[in-house]
Amino acid sequence: MLLFRSEDDIVAWCEQRHITPGAVFDVARLWRLATTWYGDRLDSTWRRRTIPERQAILDAVGLTGSFWRLTSS
Amino acid sequence: MIHATQRHTADSEIRLWIYEHFIDVGRAPSPVEIAAHFQLTPGEVEHRLRRLQDEADALVLLPGSSYIWMAEPFSAAPTSFTVRSGARVWWGNCIWDALAILALVGTDGVVSTACPHSGQPLLVSVSGRGLGEAHGVVHFAVPAREWWRDIGFT
Repeated sequence: MLLFRSEDDIVAWCEQRHITPGAVFDVARLWRLATTWYGDRLDSTWRRRTIPERQAILDAVGLTGSFWRLTSS
Repeated sequence: MIHATQRHTADSEIRLWIYEHFIDVGRAPSPVEIAAHFQLTPGEVEHRLRRLQDEADALVLLPGSSYIWMAEPFSAAPTSFTVRSGARVWWGNCIWDALAILALVGTDGVVSTACPHSGQPLLVSVSGRGLGEAHGVVHFAVPAREWWRDIGFT
C-alpha cells in the first residue's frame, strides 16, 4: 500500500512495472481503515480477526467490490 | 509497563511487551532482551516467538531467524514510511500501517514518505487524534484475498 502524488503517477508507475492498477482512494478513507483495523491491537485478549470480521471492517469503511473480497467465493 | 515474574509467562504478555517496546524504544526487542525481561531461556523465547508467528499470526520473524521483522503495524526494519511524534520515530510497513502507528500510540505526529513514481516528498499529519494535513492518493496494488500470501511484498 503506497502513497502517490496523483492518480496520474499511479497509472505511470503501474505501466512501468507492467502491473494492472489496483484500488485508489483518498487518505481520509485510509485513516478510517487504519484506526478501525488496528483498534484492538493493544488489547491483552487480542486475537487475529476472522475473515468475516475483517470483511466487515472493509465494508464499514466503504471498501466493497471484488477487489476487497477476502475470499474468492 | 509489564514486569517480569517468575511465574509462567503467557504468550499474550510477550506479545504486548513487544508492542510496548516498539512504542517506547522505536524498535523491536531482540530475543536476548525478551529472554532477560521475562527470565526465559533463549530456546524458550525462540519457541514462543515462532508460536506467536505460526499459530497466533501475531508477528512476522525475519526469515531463517528468531528476530522480529514485523509486529503490525510496526516494522523493525527501515522502510519508506517514517513516522515521527516529537522525538520518537517508528517505521510502518506501508502507508496504511504508518497511519495506524499514530492511531495505536494515540499521539499526534507526521508520516513521511515519497511518491514512488515522481519521488516527491509526501506528508500526512495526525492531530488531536484525527487526520490533519494529507497529501497524495492511496494505491493498493494487491487484491485483499492475496494480502497475506506474501506480506513482505504487500
